[in-house]
Amino acid sequence: MGTTADNGVMQEKTAQVTGLNKSCILFVTKRTRPEASVMESAINVADRLGSKIIVACVNTRPHLQAEQQLSRLRVPVSDQNLEHFRLQAQSRGVDFACIREDGKISRVIKRLCHIVKRVEFVIIDREIEMEEAASGSTVPIFSVVSSELRSEQIGRGRQKQTFFEGGNQMKATSRRRYFAKTLVFGAMTAALYGIVFAYQEAIMHYWTKGGIYALLPVATVFVFSYAHGSFTGNFWSALGIEGSKASSLKQKTSQATISDKATKRPDTRPRVQVN
Amino acid sequence: MHGPVTEAIQFIDLNLSYAIFLIIVGFIGGLVSGFIGSGGAFVLTPGMMSLGVPGTVAVASNMCHKFPKALVGSIKRYRYGQVDIKLGLIMGLFAEIGVQVGIQVQKVILEKWGQAGSNLYVSIAFVAVLVIVGSFVFRDAIKIKKSGGDTGEKPRLAARLQKIELWPMMTFKRAGLRISVWFIIPVALATGMLAATIAVGGFIGVPGLMYIIGATSIVASATELVVAFVMGLGGTLIWAYYGMVDIRLTLLILGGSLFGVQLGAIGTTYVKDYMIKFVMGTIMLIVAVSRFLAMPKYLNELSVTSFADNNVSLMSQTSFYVMCFALLVGAAIILIAMFKARSEEMAMERAQASS
Repeated sequence: MGTTADNGVMQEKTAQVTGLNKSCILFVTKRTRPEASVMESAINVADRLGSKIIVACVNTRPHLQAEQQLSRLRVPVSDQNLEHFRLQAQSRGVDFACIREDGKISRVIKRLCHIVKRVEFVIIDREIEMEEAASGSTVPIFSVVSSELRSEQIGRGRQKQTFFEGGNQMKATSRRRYFAKTLVFGAMTAALYGIVFAYQEAIMHYWTKGGIYALLPVATVFVFSYAHGSFTGNFWSALGIEGSKASSLKQKTSQATISDKATKRPDTRPRVQVN
Repeated sequence: MHGPVTEAIQFIDLNLSYAIFLIIVGFIGGLVSGFIGSGGAFVLTPGMMSLGVPGTVAVASNMCHKFPKALVGSIKRYRYGQVDIKLGLIMGLFAEIGVQVGIQVQKVILEKWGQAGSNLYVSIAFVAVLVIVGSFVFRDAIKIKKSGGDTGEKPRLAARLQKIELWPMMTFKRAGLRISVWFIIPVALATGMLAATIAVGGFIGVPGLMYIIGATSIVASATELVVAFVMGLGGTLIWAYYGMVDIRLTLLILGGSLFGVQLGAIGTTYVKDYMIKFVMGTIMLIVAVSRFLAMPKYLNELSVTSFADNNVSLMSQTSFYVMCFALLVGAAIILIAMFKARSEEMAMERAQASS
């Protein structure tokens, strides 16, 4: 959620570039220092298209105390980090502005697309999920994944290849994470089942007493649905059986469109016209 | 203990084969529920009774496993952006009223015509609803499939109802529709009444959400899980108040069904929209045949017909097996469609990566 002060700063900063009536590329990051290769690609694209760049640094957890402290510490560091890119952009004649925002990525993108004029598309930094960004956007979203290795092989100056590599590596890391969670929640579920069946006589005695004891079976299934539900969810993910990314993205995008339509209610108020 | 019924209740001794049976049936039921929003638990009550569980305990334990299953399924599908919580809660609230109305109707029938009359009423309701709604849903699914997929057009009735500005109008952002509450109430009441009668309200709820309210089949089936959660929680509290829930049975079914419901929810992200209608229509029509085969037993008990006892017994057994077959067919269609679509998507990803 952006505060009024934040919005004020943002509008002041964006005004510097929006007044030029150029098309705009919105670069969204939640890192202290944006990924250099991604940022450079964005500047390249902006240069070719003759657009300006607005970099939105998003704090996705503004309510956490530790994050707030971090956020305070981040401000000068972040400015320092962006200075390099600002100079790079200016040397190529690309207008460059930076704003700070708080809240969910989807909401920030939605808000900025609404406030900033002529946003052509959004480029998201690493660590931002495509689904997360797409749900709030009314313009196309792009992610750029660069490979240092490939660029070294190509070995021609600043030329970078953007391709979706590293997916397998990421999948392997997340699979390991799911596997660890499966083990933790699996052990928890096994322990819960063990307790219930080891003490089934006592449990059946109290759990079928009725009256106020009705809360016992209800509470039990809630506890089991948390432990066992987390176990089964992580189990399928660890096996690599997850929801279709293409479908969920399509679903969220189409819902963003239809929700806008759904909120438009016909204006039936009577009006007086004076000629 | 509360209430007179609990005095005579005998809870069964569980053994390993019973436990495995319940876990497997739970898994298949969960798979179907996660995919079509409901309809996976109808085999469980007769299934448990076949193990010697008293009818009331079977109903109560089944209901107690349904609401956490619906909760886990709806959370999973919410993450895929398919659930309209507001619509689900409003439907659930009125469906709860529908359940109470359905129970009162059952009581009146039980007092007038006895247990056989009540069973016959349940079977007739089953056959009538399943044949009418099931054939409509099935025909629609085939029509969409032949036309090459979902055109995105809303059903005519839903489109007309959405145009009627009758206070109070409500907007459901996730479902992408705006409609008067007066059109939601009858659907919700009918869902509740059917749930009280045949224990599967979703056979009215999901088609109602699709064809009357105007939600897509993906959103309708996902939102039905919220309705099932609200109704299930209310029903469980009542049954648990009378001490009818056998928590061991509930947890065993839940053990299998939470695997199934997650897989069913994942399946909805791979298949085309009409597949939900196709699976639902298929299951409904096969279950209608099953309940039709169960009717002679009750007609004999009411002295309306006089079929031979052997034939009646054979038909009752066949009825149960046909019901299991319906669930297995539904599960098989879901798994085949899901893994086929998944392998196609993976092949496409590989092709993109290599090019």
